[in-house]
Amino acid sequence: MQLKKKHKKKAIRGALTTASCTLLGLSNVAQAENAPWQFDAGVLYYSETDRVQAIEPVVTGKKDFGDDRWLNLKLVVDLLTGASPNGATPTNTPQTFTRPSGKGSYTIDANETPLDDTFRDTRVAVSGSWDQPLGDQLKGSFGANFSTEHDFLSLGASASLAYDMNKRNTTLSAGVSFESDTIKPEGGVPTPFASMVPAGSAQPRDASDDTRTLVDLLFGVTQVINRNMVMQVNYGISTSSGYHTDPYKILSVVDGSTGATTDYVYEHRPDSRNKQSLYWQMKYHLTEDIIDLSYRYLWDDWGVTSHTLDATYRWDLGGAKYLEPHVRYYQQSAADFYRVFLIDGAPLPAEASADYRLAEFTGITLGLKYGTQIKGHDTSVRLEYLSQTGDSSPSEAIGVLQDQDLYPDLKALMLQFRYTF
Amino acid sequence: MRSFMTAALLSCVALLTGCANLGVEPWERDLLAKPAMALNPDPIQSAYDDHIYFSKEASSGGRSFAGGGCGCN
Amino acid sequence: MRSPAKAGERFGSRRRIGSSEKPVTSHASQSINIEHRADYWLGRFQAMASPCEILLEIDDAKLARRLTQLAADEAWRIERSFSRYRDDNIIHRINHSHGQPVQVDVETAQLLDFAYQCYELSEGLFDITSGVLRKIWKFDGSDRVPDAKQVKAMLPHIGLNKARWQAPYFTLPEGMEIDLGGIAKEYAVDRTLLLLQQQSNASMVVNYGGDMHCSGPRANGQPWTVGIEDPSREDHPLRLLQIRHGALATSGDARRYLMKNGKRYSHILNPKTGWPVEHAPRSVTVAGASCTEAGILSTLAMLQGKEAEAFLDAQGVQYWCVR
Repeated sequence: MQLKKKHKKKAIRGALTTASCTLLGLSNVAQAENAPWQFDAGVLYYSETDRVQAIEPVVTGKKDFGDDRWLNLKLVVDLLTGASPNGATPTNTPQTFTRPSGKGSYTIDANETPLDDTFRDTRVAVSGSWDQPLGDQLKGSFGANFSTEHDFLSLGASASLAYDMNKRNTTLSAGVSFESDTIKPEGGVPTPFASMVPAGSAQPRDASDDTRTLVDLLFGVTQVINRNMVMQVNYGISTSSGYHTDPYKILSVVDGSTGATTDYVYEHRPDSRNKQSLYWQMKYHLTEDIIDLSYRYLWDDWGVTSHTLDATYRWDLGGAKYLEPHVRYYQQSAADFYRVFLIDGAPLPAEASADYRLAEFTGITLGLKYGTQIKGHDTSVRLEYLSQTGDSSPSEAIGVLQDQDLYPDLKALMLQFRYTF
Repeated sequence: MRSFMTAALLSCVALLTGCANLGVEPWERDLLAKPAMALNPDPIQSAYDDHIYFSKEASSGGRSFAGGGCGCN
Repeated sequence: MRSPAKAGERFGSRRRIGSSEKPVTSHASQSINIEHRADYWLGRFQAMASPCEILLEIDDAKLARRLTQLAADEAWRIERSFSRYRDDNIIHRINHSHGQPVQVDVETAQLLDFAYQCYELSEGLFDITSGVLRKIWKFDGSDRVPDAKQVKAMLPHIGLNKARWQAPYFTLPEGMEIDLGGIAKEYAVDRTLLLLQQQSNASMVVNYGGDMHCSGPRANGQPWTVGIEDPSREDHPLRLLQIRHGALATSGDARRYLMKNGKRYSHILNPKTGWPVEHAPRSVTVAGASCTEAGILSTLAMLQGKEAEAFLDAQGVQYWCVR
């Protein structure tokens, strides 16, 4: 048995003292003041078959200012191109529509869902929040956000509180948020139910812009059930007033017997909306894997009710690698004022919209995510497929419309990359 | 349907907060402390999903604030 | 008094010769008691197979009970989290991970960081993976010394450099084990003192079986007098130490050895060779700024065998060596 260094003994005490201090957290107070920023980035590629395409890079940064106080910042850039349904029904003849600017028009072939392809935009949004403890068991979070695109501006602020009890097994939370939106449509705000006029003529416009405000309240309880399981239940109530209409969407006015299109009119939605939701989520840790299940039930005074069921299974592959299949099921009922089309000569309703997003439909998403660590940094890639289907042959279809696909099904692919650094 | 759902979920809440024996001791939090066990483990991904579904559906929020902040709906 | 200077034996340090390893069961005494001495309160409980004492220069019985309970809860928490003998903690998960990465919590990560630093600073002499040697070395005063082949067969399963540590994932190859017994008691002493200092400015001593840390001098400027058992000294089993501030840790061999063919095999094993250190002191007591630091230094001093005093001289610390 040999012992090295029989003669000169190395002085290790200094290094050992430093190591012990680190272990006991004695120098941590000083370190927190200089804690570095932690960044998290992602990019999303979104692509609908023949319709909208988007690229959305996001970067967030957070910094610990000591004593559990954090500053979070986020920057989002959203680049959109492509075409979106304008609300008119397809019919057996080609159709020509005036662009929202009033300076041009576009023609759609017969039997094709009318898509407005002037839909291209770049959006930039920044948001920040400050989290800090407000008491022994109380934490507060205060945030502000700002988003701008060429026809829309949004400013918002929020505050929320979280209170821990039962040895941090139960957390009660409450939050409020305000948002003020300014809508400045290209070409101006259209007059409700005004007929569409050809390009070049004076367009039926009411104003150059309009506004709406939203107030949101959220109450929640998070409860640790046992060593493997945690649950959350939230109740949300939201009220908004102001301009809710989509200024680019129209409705087809069709003949009551033949179903042929006779006119296009701009849509009009109510000037207020009250939504409520109940949300439940559960996470369960198996031996190595994790199950995530959530359900949301939403209802509002527009007549929309929806169910959202979401399930994710995190399959741990060892060594920080995982595979996560994901399924989402969504079902909504139509808004009271949703119309597939309007009938020529019939009295106009107070509000009407043919926006397919207010119709009755079912959406299914299937996805798979793969995560790993590269040089100690979490990174992941996710592929998702969304399919929305509605009633293509509703019972109210008349005449030529009975041969048309009256619900523009949506199929979209999403590819997302994430990296933490 | 609506009142049934409300009653069911609110009674879950009452049950949960009423059961003070639910929960774990501080040293039993090893699994719960894992980042993957957070209720929102990937905020950027959740934000992407929220944004996509906000612009394709009539519903939003529930897990967090329902506001949109973008002109897509 | 604690026994050896071999990383991995601290939890079982009060074993007498001839006993087998006994797991620390959850129904070990979980009670505390407090006694009033002339001018201080003494809180006592059992943890990590050692008698634990908290000396508090206060005159409030309720506070004494509360602080002692706080200390005991923390000691029991550390014991539960890091004891090699339990089957429900991170150590068990790591030792039964079959070479798969295990994600560890912040506290375990900090202890692993520290263990790695000590491994490097000691050039491999302090090694938390050396505990597997107990499978072939059983120091019961008999003559059952393992042969060279058995020892050589153990060496591939020792070496912290063979494990992979990339926070928060720790990967231990199949057949290896880690044991934090060599750091845990001193770590508990330091952490407990920090916790108690958040509750009171009074002078206090945390003494777990001879490893102790004092928060500062008493009100009258006098040192604390602490008695620790020293079974290696047949004549005076109780040794009195005076401590004013700082920490003390002791390593000793507690008369555990094997005897074969007239050769005495001490109980302090060198993890790099698998064989006992020759000419190790009977006991080494080191003073340091923290109990953790003093504990590592006393362990390393024992492992230097003949060179223990030279090693401690080079570190510039106060020490007492008994041969």
